[in-house]
Amino acid sequence: MNATSKRVVTFLGVILWASMALHSPSTAQTTRGADVAVVVNSETPVTDLSLSEVRKVLLGERQYWNSKLPVVLLIRAPAARERDVVLRVIYQMSEAQFKQYWVAKIFRAEAASPPRIVYSNDMQYELLTALPGSIAFVDSRNIRPGVKVLRVDGHMPGEKDYPLR
Amino acid sequence: MESRSIKYAPLSSKLKAKKGSRIESLICCNKLGVFSHLIEKVSSLRRMNQKTVEEGAVRRRLPVLAVLMIFATGAARAQSAPSDQTEQIRILLERVQQLEKRVADLETKTPAPRVPAAEVAASIPAAPKPEMAEAAPPPGPMHQHETTESQTTTRQLEARYPSLQIRGFGDVDFSTTDQRGAISGFNLGQLDLHLASALSHKVTYFGEMTFNAQPTGYTVEVERSIIRYDYNDFFKMSFGRYHTPIGYWNTAFHHGAWLQTTISRPDMVRIGGTFIPVHFVGVLAEGNIPSGGAGLSYNAGVGNGRGSIISRPGDGGDNNNNRAWVANLYSRPTKLYGLQMGVSVYRDKITLPIVSPAGNEFREWISAAHIVWTKETPEFLAEFANVNHKNILTNATTNNQAYYVQVGYRLPWLEKTLKPYYRFEHTHTPLSEQVFTNQDLVGSILGLRYDITNYASFKGEYRNTKRLPTDPRVNGAFFQTDFTF
Repeated sequence: MNATSKRVVTFLGVILWASMALHSPSTAQTTRGADVAVVVNSETPVTDLSLSEVRKVLLGERQYWNSKLPVVLLIRAPAARERDVVLRVIYQMSEAQFKQYWVAKIFRAEAASPPRIVYSNDMQYELLTALPGSIAFVDSRNIRPGVKVLRVDGHMPGEKDYPLR
Repeated sequence: MESRSIKYAPLSSKLKAKKGSRIESLICCNKLGVFSHLIEKVSSLRRMNQKTVEEGAVRRRLPVLAVLMIFATGAARAQSAPSDQTEQIRILLERVQQLEKRVADLETKTPAPRVPAAEVAASIPAAPKPEMAEAAPPPGPMHQHETTESQTTTRQLEARYPSLQIRGFGDVDFSTTDQRGAISGFNLGQLDLHLASALSHKVTYFGEMTFNAQPTGYTVEVERSIIRYDYNDFFKMSFGRYHTPIGYWNTAFHHGAWLQTTISRPDMVRIGGTFIPVHFVGVLAEGNIPSGGAGLSYNAGVGNGRGSIISRPGDGGDNNNNRAWVANLYSRPTKLYGLQMGVSVYRDKITLPIVSPAGNEFREWISAAHIVWTKETPEFLAEFANVNHKNILTNATTNNQAYYVQVGYRLPWLEKTLKPYYRFEHTHTPLSEQVFTNQDLVGSILGLRYDITNYASFKGEYRNTKRLPTDPRVNGAFFQTDFTF
């Protein structure tokens, strides 16, 4: 291998490394925040869900708590930390994939509407108390009375192995 | 280099003038900052090179630097813009929350107008249950600050019936092939309108109509028209015209080209094709099966089956007294999120319109299996179907097979907008087949999907196909832009 070839290989290596470094999420960007609690309307007949059950609810595969009570999904608007956690841990999707997932879900006639978007905590709590069967995701530091906090995989927010953080 | 900086300056002022938003200008400034920093770096490197290195060496390195700069500029733009924007939105949302808290605090200090006791009771449960939140803030005042505005928002988000939602899909295509006699050119794909309307929290209507460009005008087709009654997650019953739940593709992607990775559908589920009955008119039950981690679900239906034209269902009525039935069982294991595998069977009696001495009535058995990995890193779809036809008069039996395997991968670069893909497909119909005309096919497609936005994409595809052993191989290039609106 002559000097020119070595230089070309080194250059390509640098380009590859730089592209990986620029596009992979940096650890510094991931700020550690409080746990995200799964909260439901106080009348919802559920207290404990596994993470895969929460995923089924969020994917629209489980649409009823029981035959009389439909699930009402509430999700924070883009850029809220709660939404980031839900997309990363539960859906394992990017924002674009999440939007495409719901377009396809409705198009397949598997759901009549996408999750309802809420823009603030106040709005979220108003809907949680007003809509039977509603489920939402809130910062565990902002939990208010009147709603039910669910255990996920047997853990409450703040406990060591709580999965939503 | 200079021409680039001049090119970008008016863009920033244009953006500022047009949108007048502080966020836009901040993002723009950041982009320009990164860009001009890179230009300075490259310029200084260039100056140093001119002083220290021989002219020949400089000539060799300049293109490399130019490539590096273009790459870095593109990368920096791709990286910084969305993260800056997200950060700005995040800051604004935090500010909204701070203001909400402040309003709540102020309202606790100012004597609030008296709220009727009944209203308070409705918003605050009297005795919290053990698992109910026992959080820090005092309950009363926090809930008393429900303003008329927020109540209106809540009312708007409460379910109303009927709640009609309309979504459209469209695509524009260009194709060119080396097939003798084929004409290259543009064509307007299907314009697809999808309607979904909840009639109550248990009853929903879904409809789908397509407008198809033809040489003499447009044809309108009702693709799906379904009314569904939900009892619970385990039992939902619907009536109407469906996409037959055989295999995966036919019910996962429907007519919107934007939904599927590729431009074309596999030949076995081609719209207007006959290999499997794409549509079905009748009644269908569906739901989950309590099965723990196996995540089992089912579809089971009875309907008219194939019509006299076997690519169409009997929309206006069956052409014989025998109903078709279909059953589909699939699993989405909870431990392997993204995986789906399933099996389907379909049974029908086909009555062909032309009576021949060998008879025109056939029993049809379709058995199919699929396995898919729906995550995009990688995406994997594989499906197989066997169509068995038995002549009722002569008992002559034929088996037709078709399968495809498709892989795709969402690349991590350029904000994950690129997805290369490859599909191999094969269809075999025996020479003795009496219902189908020959459908033999061996084909490969290789393509790239580029998502322009969340709701539109460009696709480019190379296809190599061969039908009959005596036919020549056909190569073609296909391009499509598809979207949902």
